[in-house]
Amino acid sequence: MSAVNEFSTLTTDPCIVADKVAMKYRVISTEEQDKAPSRGLKLLKRFAPAPNTVTVNALNELSLVVRHSESVGVIGRNGSGKSTLMKLVSGQVRPTSGAIHASSTPIMLGVNAALVPELSGDQNVVLGCLAMGMDRAEIDARFAEIVEVSGLEKSIHLPMKSYSSGMASRLRFAIAACGNPEILLVDEALNTGDAQFAARSKRRMDELRDKAGCVLLVSHSLTTIKDMTGRVVWLDKGDLIMDGDPKEVTKKYMEFTKLLAKGNNNSARDLLAEVRSGLAAANIVKASASRRGRTAVA
Amino acid sequence: MTEVVAQLPKPAVVHDVPVDMGKLKRVGARPPFLDYLVQLWDFRQFIYYDARARVQSSTRRDKLGSAWLILNPMFNGLTYFLVFGLLLNTSKGIPNFIGYLVIGVFMFQITSGAITGGARSMQQNKALVQGFSFPRAALPIGVNLRELLGNIPMILAMLLIILVVPPVEPISWRWLLLVPVLALQFAFNLGIGLILARIISRVNDVTHLLPFGLRLIMYLSAVFYSLDRFIDHPTILAVMQANPMFIIIDITRDSLLYGVTPSLHSWAMLTAWAGVSLVVGMLFFWRAEESYVRG
Repeated sequence: MSAVNEFSTLTTDPCIVADKVAMKYRVISTEEQDKAPSRGLKLLKRFAPAPNTVTVNALNELSLVVRHSESVGVIGRNGSGKSTLMKLVSGQVRPTSGAIHASSTPIMLGVNAALVPELSGDQNVVLGCLAMGMDRAEIDARFAEIVEVSGLEKSIHLPMKSYSSGMASRLRFAIAACGNPEILLVDEALNTGDAQFAARSKRRMDELRDKAGCVLLVSHSLTTIKDMTGRVVWLDKGDLIMDGDPKEVTKKYMEFTKLLAKGNNNSARDLLAEVRSGLAAANIVKASASRRGRTAVA
Repeated sequence: MTEVVAQLPKPAVVHDVPVDMGKLKRVGARPPFLDYLVQLWDFRQFIYYDARARVQSSTRRDKLGSAWLILNPMFNGLTYFLVFGLLLNTSKGIPNFIGYLVIGVFMFQITSGAITGGARSMQQNKALVQGFSFPRAALPIGVNLRELLGNIPMILAMLLIILVVPPVEPISWRWLLLVPVLALQFAFNLGIGLILARIISRVNDVTHLLPFGLRLIMYLSAVFYSLDRFIDHPTILAVMQANPMFIIIDITRDSLLYGVTPSLHSWAMLTAWAGVSLVVGMLFFWRAEESYVRG
């Protein structure tokens, strides 16, 4: 590992540090295998169909530092690794290599459907809040507020499996949003629900963002990204392409998607390569602020 | 999707970014074992609420509601009585066969329900595991607690049957011994459930083997026959007497039916089974704490 640059300043208030994280999934593919096995093996395979597994590189090695009071937007096409990154940061899945460090447990506002389908909405509220580490008195005090944010009114007493997907994700949002998390991860949560809920959830989101230490936001709406974030990260097929000012990154990204929409795949590829070659990637060096003004490398 | 990128160029520069990691913790990191136990204790309200809410909702769809908590094992006992008591006549030489059978069936049902539930707890609660970062062992513990709460009416029914169906057995102080038996049984079930939960979260195929394993244990636990038929085979007898399920059923029968104080040896064996199962189960489950959700 190279020595710390004399001029690089120590990041003293990190919220999330992704240190060379990469994620690979092994999944079963229905695609036929090319190589023809011998006859005996074929016969065997018919009885015990060994699934054809394929490794998917959801996210290639990536390092990222998010500081306190920073809102970072994540953009990219479908399958670019945005949601994988969020899952890694929230701790839902463990990266295949590297590690995510955070100053407190991140809370994800996602579009996960039910919590426990057999239980009623109000039981799910209590259960979800307890799972976030709140105690009963705190939950009782905030119960009305959660129900109000969810907009479920009387339906809160029905079993969650009877909810429409919109209702379920509203409740999910309301539960996660009541935690006042220091690190907030938002994965398209604002796009669910009707117009009335959208307005209410936006208000709650703004409150949360003001209180939260930092926010990571995934959205396909570039307007949302530009409105809400101070820094944007562009991912494509698991690679970090660009990291910087929202206006600049979204502009390049728009150019890219327009080229793709027109079918100019070659120009799109050139653009991607050009942007990527201008990227300043990070290499995390563990250090401690043991002495003021000097950087001690661990 | 169009194939756009064949090979991306390397980034222009790679900066070294010194970061003060002092206050940071690795997300989802597995805590040391003792801290893990403390965390579980902190989540006790979650565990209890999870258990209680699910007991209430388990029979909500049935017209007879909670009555099924008792009816279920009763029909089970009736089936065994018809087949083994009347048809195959395995009841030979067993005093108070109905009581004998009821205790065997009910006590076995407690263990089989708890182990099955505990083993499947990680898979059936994927949404909870994905959404929140609580210590994962809270789920198998919650399931076991739910089984215990749900079994209270069943245990009362068992005592009632022993009191009502002739030959009527008198209540003695030994009935209190049911409490430590249930406690040890709980620990044993939980330990086995934790072990299976980790295995099943990795190799789902084991769920298919679970019912066979449990059935085998039932047939080996003298639920509807007497161990006396193996009196001439000391090896078989010794193996069967070491079976924890048999010990649980045997101690219960001795204290409730036959007015015999269970031997110290039985208690020691059961305590050892329960203790080893719980400790091994917790350690085994905890070691895979970070890997319980995939996709």
